[in-house]
Amino acid sequence: MEHSIIRVENLSVCYHSEKRRTRAVNKVSFNLDRGSSLGIIGESGSGKTSIALAMMGLLKKVATVDGQVYYEDKELNSLAEKERNLYRWGKIAIVFQNSLDVLNPVLTVHEQILECLLRHTVLTGPAADEKVVQLLELVGLKAGWNMHYPHQLSGGMRQRVLLAMALSCDPEILIVDEPTTALDAMAKDEIVRLLVKLHREKKFALLVISHEMQIISRLASRVMVMYGGHIVEEGLTKDVLKNPLHTYTRGLIQSSPAINPYRDLWGIPGEAEQNNPEGCPFYDRCNQKILECQAKLPLLEYISLERRVACNRGGITTLLTGRELHKSFVFKGKTIKACDNCDLTIRSGEVVVLIGESGSGKTTLASILAGVSTPDEGEVLFEGEKIKGNSATSRKNGLQIVFQDPFTATNEHLSIAQVVKEPLDILKLGTKDEKLNNVRQALQDVQLPSDDEFINKKCHCLSGGQRQRVALARSLVMEPKLLIADEISSMLDPSTQANVLRLLKGLQNTRGFAMLFITHDLALARKIADRVYVMYNGKIIEHGSAVEVFDSPKESYTNKLVDNLL
Amino acid sequence: MNKSSSILKKASEYLLTFLVILTLNFFIPRLMPGDPFIFLSSSEGQVTITYSEEQIAKYKAYYGLDKPMIVQYTSYLANLLQGNIGYSIYYNNSVLSVIGKRVIWTVSIVLAAIFISCLIGTVLGSLSAWYRNGTFDKVLYSFIIAISEIPAFLIGIMFLFILAAKLGWFPLSGGIKTFANYSNSVEKITDILHHAFLPVLTLSIVRLGEFYLLSRNSMIAVLTKDYMRTARAKGLHNKRIIFRHALKNALLPIVTRVFLSLGAVFSGAILVENVFNYPGVGRLMREAVMVRDYVLIQGIFLFVAVTVLTMNLLADIIYRRLDPRVN
Repeated sequence: MEHSIIRVENLSVCYHSEKRRTRAVNKVSFNLDRGSSLGIIGESGSGKTSIALAMMGLLKKVATVDGQVYYEDKELNSLAEKERNLYRWGKIAIVFQNSLDVLNPVLTVHEQILECLLRHTVLTGPAADEKVVQLLELVGLKAGWNMHYPHQLSGGMRQRVLLAMALSCDPEILIVDEPTTALDAMAKDEIVRLLVKLHREKKFALLVISHEMQIISRLASRVMVMYGGHIVEEGLTKDVLKNPLHTYTRGLIQSSPAINPYRDLWGIPGEAEQNNPEGCPFYDRCNQKILECQAKLPLLEYISLERRVACNRGGITTLLTGRELHKSFVFKGKTIKACDNCDLTIRSGEVVVLIGESGSGKTTLASILAGVSTPDEGEVLFEGEKIKGNSATSRKNGLQIVFQDPFTATNEHLSIAQVVKEPLDILKLGTKDEKLNNVRQALQDVQLPSDDEFINKKCHCLSGGQRQRVALARSLVMEPKLLIADEISSMLDPSTQANVLRLLKGLQNTRGFAMLFITHDLALARKIADRVYVMYNGKIIEHGSAVEVFDSPKESYTNKLVDNLL
Repeated sequence: MNKSSSILKKASEYLLTFLVILTLNFFIPRLMPGDPFIFLSSSEGQVTITYSEEQIAKYKAYYGLDKPMIVQYTSYLANLLQGNIGYSIYYNNSVLSVIGKRVIWTVSIVLAAIFISCLIGTVLGSLSAWYRNGTFDKVLYSFIIAISEIPAFLIGIMFLFILAAKLGWFPLSGGIKTFANYSNSVEKITDILHHAFLPVLTLSIVRLGEFYLLSRNSMIAVLTKDYMRTARAKGLHNKRIIFRHALKNALLPIVTRVFLSLGAVFSGAILVENVFNYPGVGRLMREAVMVRDYVLIQGIFLFVAVTVLTMNLLADIIYRRLDPRVN
């Protein structure tokens, strides 16, 4: 770490007001090399700005700051204000979040930049005045603007002034806090371009703080994800974006419309309020939490060369793995390969879409994965255990499958209560009352009535959409971790299909179960897919994140599918 | 709104205010019981000689007081337009020169008091803000709130009692020694300052709370602003942060208040001048009221009103100069 220009070690920030203490930053460590870039991303209130303020030493009055900030080998937090001032701006400068008050309203732009030069550089007199004008030109503001007052500038211009001011003394480290808030799309783009250009030219180490993933992805090569004052994931930006390993990071990325142009927007459920100070900060909102997470604070640990994740489960877990699956049928002496060497993984909490035309082998693959049929070769692992028969489906928190045709999947002579309760009956889970409660809850979840009159109706009284929801409710009583939905909407009219799908996606989002959604409908797939597998003639020909596959398909078949859509 | 129309609007606002003041100014003295001729040839407060009905009628006719109110009012306005503010009935002199002789005394103590209270108040207020919620702030805050609740005349009487009467450090009354012969001007100035000390001190103490609270609040608000954090981040010297960044912003409301408070200080001066028997406009006003010298009362009111309005106007102008956000 000798060449790191700045090192932050075990930095903690604790704000104390009369009523309560708030831990905003919790033992954060990182370092920055000369000319490198690092982003910090997180929701508002996650502690990003507190890190920046602590690095500048601006929290002395309002908060307790623990830990060390080293500039080269000099520890800054232990310095007296006077000495620390020599590092401020000259070595470490900051572009504060843009607000009307961030510049002094009664001083001209010129004076506010000039005072930095006079304080930290050797420039004086006309040379310093000249430098102010040059700095403003550097950030794209014409001469003349320097004599204006802050309130006479637009938001974009103010951002440029802030940038010019921060760069005035050629700092070696530049901290940029939310550089694009309150800017419109055009101004945003210009500021980001400007930052990229200046970073390339001036070679300062750049620390970007933002809650917008696309800003970070354009400015920082490495990224740290913050939640509740903790770093939960750290790695190369492009890797993290492509393959987030913490459930929070994934939620964050999925909430970004710029990164997910097709998918419907679903935020991370729950509020960022930490209720268990000892445990994992993300416990309340995590979809793969286990008992251990409530009491144990996970440490940020390397899980690959460039990636660190703070998760008791080592990051997003893999739920289901299908390895080298083969299945053939012999029909009139002809062998049909329905599944030809198929590999597939599904991780917790994600929506995987398996797309392909009819006859491509999707349903065969689904039934192998669910353990309904056995593969000729290969194996399926569910949570690390090999699936044999109904080993994964015949238990709570396991795997459930919903089929295409609700009319054959639910017995029309049974009552709704009987259908939904059946798995609980077979597995003898709970007392009579508990089972009934589970049934009612599941029916409410799928937005069906749960009164006695309704649940005692026979299934044949229901419409297709209702029958499909009953089938769905039957899966949900088992509280599955993975739901396989095989063309569940193909037999429904468009409006019912939209309702059922939104319901399903909503349930998936709040409950956090993973889903394998099998369809031939690409338009539909784009609305919900996190990752996509494309199947053709029994083979999986392409897979990747939804954006990759839909934006730049590699296979000509996929290309054709996407083109047909347009 | 463009500049000329906003000036026009401002001007008409001031004109309207001025007219209302003139009208009140005319009617209020005339609503008081009694009239000038009861007091004309008596010493202050004592009725010794009475005029006959005939004489009073004659005087009333002479001063135009026998005419209907509305006629008196219009002629008053007409005279004002010509710059003639009247002739004092009691002092037998033009109102302008009667006030003129007194005004310098009042203006001196008022300005001195404002200067002192503003300076000390701002410094203490800023310190209080800087050490907010500390012992210094808490003690000072309670102390200043307490003394600013004491009425001006009470403070004045207290000083008069202790410092002037008991200890004899200061003269009991007046603005200057009567019948004194000064060998040089330094001696004269010292004497005037000696006389002015207690009135100025009293007035300053009365105004101190206002400036203290204002500057404390203003500074507290400024200290939490984002631009103060920016200034600290820039590693500037503390001196520059406090004086250039904080005080320049915090002073804005204080400067305005200096001008706006002149009116209030004048009314304070009336009480204080009477306590110390100081020869200023305040005492003149009391005398004028005692003898129902309508013309003089009007003149003094007019003078005070014009002063206050001018100060308001100045406050407006200066605020515009200081704060670039007000165009």
